[in-house]
Amino acid sequence: MTDSIVWIDEVEPATAVAVAGAKMGRLAELLRAEVTVPLGFAVTVAAYRRHCAESGLDERIDEVISGLPADAGMDSVEQASATIREAFEQREISTELAAEITESYEQLCVRCVDVNVPTAVRSSATGEDSAQASFAGIFDTYLGVSGSQRVLDAVRSCWGSLFTARALAYRLRNGISHHDMPIAVGVIELVHARASGVAFSVHPVTGKRDRVVIEGSWGWGEAVVQGLVTPDHAEVGKADNRLLRYDVARKTVVSAFDYAAGRVVEIDMPGRLVDRQVLDEEQVAAVTSAVTAIEEHYGYPVDVEWVVSRHRRAGDPVCIVQARPVTVTVPEEPAAAGWDPVAMAGKYAFGTSGKG
Amino acid sequence: MATVVPVDEFTGEWYPGFKPEFLEMPYIVDPVSPFKKEDEGQFWFLDFHWPRGLTPLGVFTWGGDGYCWGTQHAAENLPLPPGRGCSCRFAGTHLYGTAVPETDPQQLAARAKRIGHNLPAFLQDYPGFWERGRDELEDWWSYFRGIDFGTRSLADLGALLHHARHYHKRGMEIHFGVMYPLLANFVGFYGQCVDFGIEPGEIGKFLQGWDTKILETDRELGKLSASARAKGLRDVFAAHEAEGIRTALAGNGGAASTWLSEFDAFLGYYGWRAEGTTDPALPSWIEDPTPPLGMIKTYLQRPEDHDFEAASRNAIEEREAAIEVARAKLTKEEQAVFDAGLESNQQANFPFWQDDHNFYMDLKIMLPLRWTCQELAKRVDADTSQDMLYLFWPELVGVAGGRPYNGELRSLVDARRQYFDHWQARRSEMPKVLGTVPETVEDPILIEIFGLNAHSLQAMQNTDAASAASVSGIAASKGTARGIARVLANADELHRISPGDILVCESTSPNWTPAFAKIAACVCDGGGTLSHAAIVGREYGIPAVTAAGVATRVISDGDEIEVNGTTGTVTILRKAADVRMADGAGVSS
Repeated sequence: MTDSIVWIDEVEPATAVAVAGAKMGRLAELLRAEVTVPLGFAVTVAAYRRHCAESGLDERIDEVISGLPADAGMDSVEQASATIREAFEQREISTELAAEITESYEQLCVRCVDVNVPTAVRSSATGEDSAQASFAGIFDTYLGVSGSQRVLDAVRSCWGSLFTARALAYRLRNGISHHDMPIAVGVIELVHARASGVAFSVHPVTGKRDRVVIEGSWGWGEAVVQGLVTPDHAEVGKADNRLLRYDVARKTVVSAFDYAAGRVVEIDMPGRLVDRQVLDEEQVAAVTSAVTAIEEHYGYPVDVEWVVSRHRRAGDPVCIVQARPVTVTVPEEPAAAGWDPVAMAGKYAFGTSGKG
Repeated sequence: MATVVPVDEFTGEWYPGFKPEFLEMPYIVDPVSPFKKEDEGQFWFLDFHWPRGLTPLGVFTWGGDGYCWGTQHAAENLPLPPGRGCSCRFAGTHLYGTAVPETDPQQLAARAKRIGHNLPAFLQDYPGFWERGRDELEDWWSYFRGIDFGTRSLADLGALLHHARHYHKRGMEIHFGVMYPLLANFVGFYGQCVDFGIEPGEIGKFLQGWDTKILETDRELGKLSASARAKGLRDVFAAHEAEGIRTALAGNGGAASTWLSEFDAFLGYYGWRAEGTTDPALPSWIEDPTPPLGMIKTYLQRPEDHDFEAASRNAIEEREAAIEVARAKLTKEEQAVFDAGLESNQQANFPFWQDDHNFYMDLKIMLPLRWTCQELAKRVDADTSQDMLYLFWPELVGVAGGRPYNGELRSLVDARRQYFDHWQARRSEMPKVLGTVPETVEDPILIEIFGLNAHSLQAMQNTDAASAASVSGIAASKGTARGIARVLANADELHRISPGDILVCESTSPNWTPAFAKIAACVCDGGGTLSHAAIVGREYGIPAVTAAGVATRVISDGDEIEVNGTTGTVTILRKAADVRMADGAGVSS
């Protein structure tokens, strides 16, 4: 093995983010923290750099970008983006790397006890957290990629997504070179999702840190993450792991695996699932326990993407496919201990605090 | 954008013979007066408590000593940081209130510091504060009850006038001195609950189910009704108007006499209350027992009596269930705050006190003044026992000091009575708001008690309101009911409402409570979630919509309406004329 491939369960956590990008690196960290994550490997930052250097992509990219001023209009940025991404599609992956990826994919199939196991192929960018936050969700992810040739194609598409128009424009504006934020690509077992969603260890709107907020729907998490469906909403008190509320939503769209197309697609939710509660109390507790463990591990509020596998039984942990620091939090007001009638009257009766 | 409702129509000439010095008295921030042009810069709302209007004595003692002095005294003592109490103006005989703001940042900071000490101290010893105040007033009360007014000299009556005014004024200091800190604590709790995501309609339930003196009075009325039923007296009640029932019963002897002695025993304790708040022009039930007799008469029209015990049990069960549901949705940290806030508010319970205190204060505190005035009326051979109420304080003190009544004063009283009657007839067309009307008010008292929210402020200024087919307001007490609307200008006719009717009025206060045992629903122009109608509607389990703004204008007496207390809407199903036609000629309702 060269430095082109690292496995989530083998990579050194201290260097995981550097070699495998934030997304994959965190999965490696989570695994060490005894959180259940899917099996998978990363095509490393080094492999990406080598590909760009050896295939002549670096020259082509520099050529296109050097023609763009810092204040380039969106039209010319989009033109440049299309040119570069086209170049990525045309450059074959080197025989050596292709063989390594194919070999790793076959190994993944064996480990998952499956033939042509469907995978999630995810871009895993590097760079500062603030930059990553700005790029959240704009690099490509392909769900349900099955077979080694499709995996190879998806890896190339993920590399190319480093050059979406939005990413290009951001780097131009901030004077960041694409060389400073190379990309890794994760190839991860696609967990057979019965239900998926997101969860926050802090209320994403009010900033209250006394609760875990869970949102989820049937099938894979794409429809929830992309906001295509209104998910069920649950809140759990952290202090005593008590379910505070569970609002069942009317879920009209589902991300489902399309066997013919070999990928996850968004379709109409089957009628009998539309109004049905997604998670039972045991499952809510399992998501909560994973989220609080991750928050505890990192020491700051996190949001995660979770999956309840079709094979999961009560008592099993849920699978965490992504975790990151919460990017938007409202500063929390200091929690009052007991009843402070003066503060409360000031706040609600007289408007003498809070409004200044 | 604030709009201005001109006050011009209500400035200039006032009560005949009025001179500005007649209202001269010590004041704290702003004294009572008739409207002046410069008042137009402030926001004034028509206060529902005095739907008849106030006589000159009521203007002086209540408007001056109560509304202005009482609230401003309490607002300085606590103090309320941003508010210096209330003030009032008169348009004709009708009282408009305003909140007096404090805006100086230095003063606000100083006041916030003081309430920081005083509010916890008050809450710590709330039972003590309240009991000491109540005992002080009950001592005063015993003193007045021990006086035989008929045997006192004119000079003594002059002294009694001052005593009676002092009692009333002291009562108002105590009244607002307890009300403001209780309300501050409650509004804080209310706000915290809303922030915790608790449905606003649920919050009132957490503090319901404690027996008040007002509820106790209603229960005793219920017992009297049951007793009359058991004694076979229903026919006597049915055959006579309320005014004639006592005579009819007295003539019946036997069981009827026994019942009358039960009734008199009831009056001996519960009868010292008038059909209105702090208005010396109103008789007590002892002086005129028509209201309780009429109430019992209508109770007897129901197939069975209102089950107070069951209603009370329901209120308690509903309270405990509401608390449990609310707590279950809170985190452990929130529960700690909620539990402590709930304990503080159950112990110093604003909605409870809001009803209970009326028994000791608002419904009887002006009676000694009334008795003194009635005795003076006898001494000067006035035309009616009410005549002294049409004198301003200096004139009244003058009469007690020997100033001749015949001539100028007697004719002024006559002219002022006509002035009063003229303005009483105009009540329903009085603007609900005057001066500079903001889009929204921020004072929680105006919002939660008077129901002056953005919606009602807008509705009140809508001149096309009378042609509307529905009105909306605050969903104050849940449930739906259909029935015939009884649009009442004041509580005088309350005892005539039939069981199943829907009460429509400006707003209710505790003297309206007995009607809640028979009405199907209640609709008010004013009143917020903490208003009397909202609180009592929930206690009695009937739908209530408050802060509807113009219900008394949109809905006519006799209309068939549907009240939805869950959504806060009131729909007119059939106008009164159609109801009468459908019911057939000759059948009057």
